[in-house]
Amino acid sequence: MDDGTASRGEVLLSVDGLTKSYGAVRALKGVSVEVRRGSVHAVVGENGAGKSTLIKIVSGAESADAGRISFDGAPVAMASTNAAMGLGIATVYQEPQLFADLTVAENIFVGREIVRGGRIDWRAQSERVRTLLADLGLPERYADRQVGDLSVAAQQQVSIAKAMAGEARLLILDEPSAILTDNEIDILFALVRRLVARGVAVIYISHRLDELFRVTDTVTVMRDGDIVGTYPTDDLSVREIAEMMVGHELANDRPDRDAPDGEPLLSLRGLGRGDLFHDIDVDVAAGEIVALYGLVGSGVDEIAKTLYGVERPTAGTIAVAGRPVDVRNPRAAQRSRLAMLPSDRKHQGVFAFQSIAFNITTGHAHRFRRFGFLMDRARENTVAKDLMAKLAVKAPGPRTPLNALSGGNQQKVVLARQLVERPDVLVLEEPTQGVDVGAKEEIHRLVTELAEQGTAILVVTADLPEALRIADRLVVVRQGTTTVEFGPTARQADVLAAAAGDTGSEDAA
Amino acid sequence: MNAVTTAARAKDRAPGLGARALRALVTQRLVLLVTLLVGLVVVMKLLERGGYLVASYSSDYLAASLIDAVPLGLLGLGQLVVIVSGRGGIDLSVGSMVSVSGMLFGFAIGEWGWPLVPAVLFALLSGGLLGAINGFFVSAMGFPALITTLATYYAYSSIALVVNDSSPISTGPIQDLTWLTRPVELPMFGQYVPDFPMGIFLFAIPVIVLLWLNVTRGTYGRQLYAIGTNDTAGRFAGVPVGSVRFRAYLVSGMVSGLVAVVTVSQFASARPDAGTAGNGMALPAITIAVLGGVAITGGVGRVVGVVVAAVLVVWLNAGILLSFEGSEGSQYQLLALGGVLIFAAILNGVTTRRYGGTS
Amino acid sequence: MTTTAPAPARSTMPLLSGRVTGQELVLLGVITLLWLALGVSTDTFIQAGTLSNLAYNVAPIALVGIGMTVVIVCGGIDVSVGSAVTVVTVIVAKLVRDQGVSLPVAVVVAVGVGALLGLVNGVLISVGRVHAIIITFGTLNVFRFVALRIFDSEQVAGVPGTLAVLGGGQTGETLHVPHAFVVMLLLAGAMWWYMRNTAGGRHLYAMGGDRLAARLAGVKVQRREVLAYVLTGVLVGLASCVVIGGGGLIGQNVGVGLELQVIAAVVIGGTSIMGGRGTVLGTVLGALLVGTVASGVTILHWPSQLTSLFVGVFILVAVGTDVVRERSRRRA
Repeated sequence: MDDGTASRGEVLLSVDGLTKSYGAVRALKGVSVEVRRGSVHAVVGENGAGKSTLIKIVSGAESADAGRISFDGAPVAMASTNAAMGLGIATVYQEPQLFADLTVAENIFVGREIVRGGRIDWRAQSERVRTLLADLGLPERYADRQVGDLSVAAQQQVSIAKAMAGEARLLILDEPSAILTDNEIDILFALVRRLVARGVAVIYISHRLDELFRVTDTVTVMRDGDIVGTYPTDDLSVREIAEMMVGHELANDRPDRDAPDGEPLLSLRGLGRGDLFHDIDVDVAAGEIVALYGLVGSGVDEIAKTLYGVERPTAGTIAVAGRPVDVRNPRAAQRSRLAMLPSDRKHQGVFAFQSIAFNITTGHAHRFRRFGFLMDRARENTVAKDLMAKLAVKAPGPRTPLNALSGGNQQKVVLARQLVERPDVLVLEEPTQGVDVGAKEEIHRLVTELAEQGTAILVVTADLPEALRIADRLVVVRQGTTTVEFGPTARQADVLAAAAGDTGSEDAA
Repeated sequence: MNAVTTAARAKDRAPGLGARALRALVTQRLVLLVTLLVGLVVVMKLLERGGYLVASYSSDYLAASLIDAVPLGLLGLGQLVVIVSGRGGIDLSVGSMVSVSGMLFGFAIGEWGWPLVPAVLFALLSGGLLGAINGFFVSAMGFPALITTLATYYAYSSIALVVNDSSPISTGPIQDLTWLTRPVELPMFGQYVPDFPMGIFLFAIPVIVLLWLNVTRGTYGRQLYAIGTNDTAGRFAGVPVGSVRFRAYLVSGMVSGLVAVVTVSQFASARPDAGTAGNGMALPAITIAVLGGVAITGGVGRVVGVVVAAVLVVWLNAGILLSFEGSEGSQYQLLALGGVLIFAAILNGVTTRRYGGTS
Repeated sequence: MTTTAPAPARSTMPLLSGRVTGQELVLLGVITLLWLALGVSTDTFIQAGTLSNLAYNVAPIALVGIGMTVVIVCGGIDVSVGSAVTVVTVIVAKLVRDQGVSLPVAVVVAVGVGALLGLVNGVLISVGRVHAIIITFGTLNVFRFVALRIFDSEQVAGVPGTLAVLGGGQTGETLHVPHAFVVMLLLAGAMWWYMRNTAGGRHLYAMGGDRLAARLAGVKVQRREVLAYVLTGVLVGLASCVVIGGGGLIGQNVGVGLELQVIAAVVIGGTSIMGGRGTVLGTVLGALLVGTVASGVTILHWPSQLTSLFVGVFILVAVGTDVVRERSRRRA
């Protein structure tokens, strides 16, 4: 179709010795990689391996501390996302960044409209977009629809079309399949193949290892800010990729504890919500820590929200201590002695400019009520100080504003809020996301302690080492439902392979 | 060190006294307001000494002028509650709620011959009902507060006018109510202090105390500030978000009902346009709230700040009235109100960006 | 490889495919029904005098509404327009009466002063980075102060008919159509075209939808924002000319409360208060609806105060449809 096919195989992007540190954390330790024209190049690695940092630097969103980038044979300085786009490097994020009230054609041309005589040339724009959509195998009728009226999958396709309209030569897809259904993924892959045929290079980020074999030709595995290796996809298996991502197994330093097996305190039977997840069966006994492990898009995060009444289930039952409970809203969940630590601390967890005590006691008004309406400030102080000591929150006092604390300490405060009413069941969603190593250790220790005091704990996480370290049992969620179960001595590579869709290892448990 | 962000670090740098004073002035809204209040009185006293005033800026004059702070301050507190509740909270309809409640109060007292206490309760109730309608649309239906209360502003003002064919009620029983707002000598130590208007004790202080107890010291206040600071986190924490926000608008309505009683007795007449004449009452109330340190984005603002801001504006207005002959004074009051609002808003913005917020 | 495009069922251009939105059609329907009902039930509604009076009354609200639509679409609001009208009206009325300035000069001064007031708003909002409603609440008071100082405690009486060509009397009409209404329609049409068909116009919607994303796409957000307020000021100037043309006596309360009527017209016209959606055509229809109701209430000898009640209900219905639409969209 164009000369792209002719130059296929040449190196388009070359990254050499890239380093980047955030404070004391070394996110990239001298990364070198080459991406070729006409290639779909997967970058895989566990959370924190450095994938997203690498992508941010290549797309101009952040700058590296050291290292060289060259594009199309010439060294380039990626000063901003606009500079990167100018070169022909476009990134499509999970959440489509489009204007809902403008049409698809307008979205594609916003900021660089085709203008004739002061007026937007609708016909030319529309025709260009139709040609573009047809080229990409997308429905031409999208062109004049308002973006807000399209499905999420269609919006993602539009984002890709928009990148291509800007003559992108390197397209970065950041976990594009996470929000899509199987059918939509097929359409996405067809689109990616068509782009590659035109000589575009694609960097494909995904957690779902099984799909790499369907669409990528090269895989780069990252671990701890380093590159483990770059291989032709066909030379590897899901299992081998998983092994490389995990590296040599560390001696599991999980504390010695006897897994209790009493009557289940929390028990989910056939729980489902719409097409997000279905037939979830999980039991957690008093004093037990169970991890629900699933990749982004597996529906695992939606399970936690449903348990806690943020969303309502459409099927199945939730029972606490043998009694079925109707969790209409978070308050009802609390009354059923359920508590949940949300994953998105900034949006769902903290009251940023309020005090630590405020953050701990909010939502528990009825426990601090005096004379029917007053806040018992003395009691509040005692409870806050108590929990701050128990959770080792480092702060001058309970009246310190929360936004003066580090991420780890903020997380401990939000966790403290869940403990005010001594819940029977504690759901922890990504309990150590965005906290430093020290705080992570402390949170793990706390969770174990809570379990020892008889709380049933369900950890929902995509952090596999964490899950294996603290959980007594690990249940894998894949494609919206519970699949295999592993014990605490399971190998990371086995679990990862199971979650990523390597059906061959399902009997590993 | 890692545990402390930049905002707190700035505090650790141990700046000089001047810098600390400046910091307190711009970040502690109460410090600023009290400083302005003292400065205002000093300047007015100097002007008086120099013979520039048409009458004495005396303590009696200041005490008597406080009656104007009652409606202003109470409605400012109503705005505090709805603005703090977040998600673009605001109540433009307070003026019409005052008009409607005032007319109903006027009917009860002036036409139906009700005793005072049930009539006041009636006014409170009617204000509460109107506020509940606002609250229903905003919290249950998710309508934007600005437009909802604009719509009810229209609807309520129409009701106030229609209910008595646009004419005021000023029968004998209503004219007898002026004692509610007139200055009185306090018992026991009354001769040592100026005479304060009765309305201060009957309306302002009880409401201020009640709101302070509930909003600053009460469990309701905790929930209110929580949803105003972060609506989603409030939901995840188990705060009944809808009910808390609904009650904020209910409070604004009830406060309007009480203000209606004050204005009716102050003017010895229940006027159908009491709250909507001119620019209405919502605007000054919002100004007082913002000046008092309420952030329009929600979750920030203190009862004491709004009360001091109301006193500051009323005494500033009183001073301006003495500084000019005729109607010029009331014109300069507009300039002062607008200027002070813009000043306070820009100050709020600057402090948020530079110091991480006002308290 | 060439794909033959299937013949599109609808025209390819937004200009043709969705020339009017659903809300506009509904409004048009409601207005038509009201006119029919009033025409059938009264003898006086379908009369040149009534209708031209209606058109004249709608003109200043719709004129300012054009600017307000732009401001709200790009994510702001301006509650100071009423006071701005007071300022421009008193300045121009005094100039016309005391200096005897001509029509063109009067219009230029009105537009200039209006633009200046809009510039003050725009700069304070854009540079001060403060919420528009707070700033314009403040300037509402300051502008009113300025106006009252110029009034100097007296209404402006005996204004000559220099601007009567834009007024509501005989000179202001051609074939019973008020010139002010025609001017408004022309400007609204121009603005409607601009917002639909030019890059600058579309950028207003982008800004209101997602300010940050718009800036990243290369939209000059701050400049457009300031210009939106200046445009509103210009239209305030024209609306003031229409007001002066209406009569020889300018009272001190001229323009008071106009901002609420204008915002009501804009919201009823389907513009989302959250920004990013709305059309000038809708605003004109919204103003016409409000005007029709006011006129109908008068003709039916209902208490005139009922108009506000209807306006309030219309606003709630308009916002309700907007909210429902957003919700169903998010679910999709």
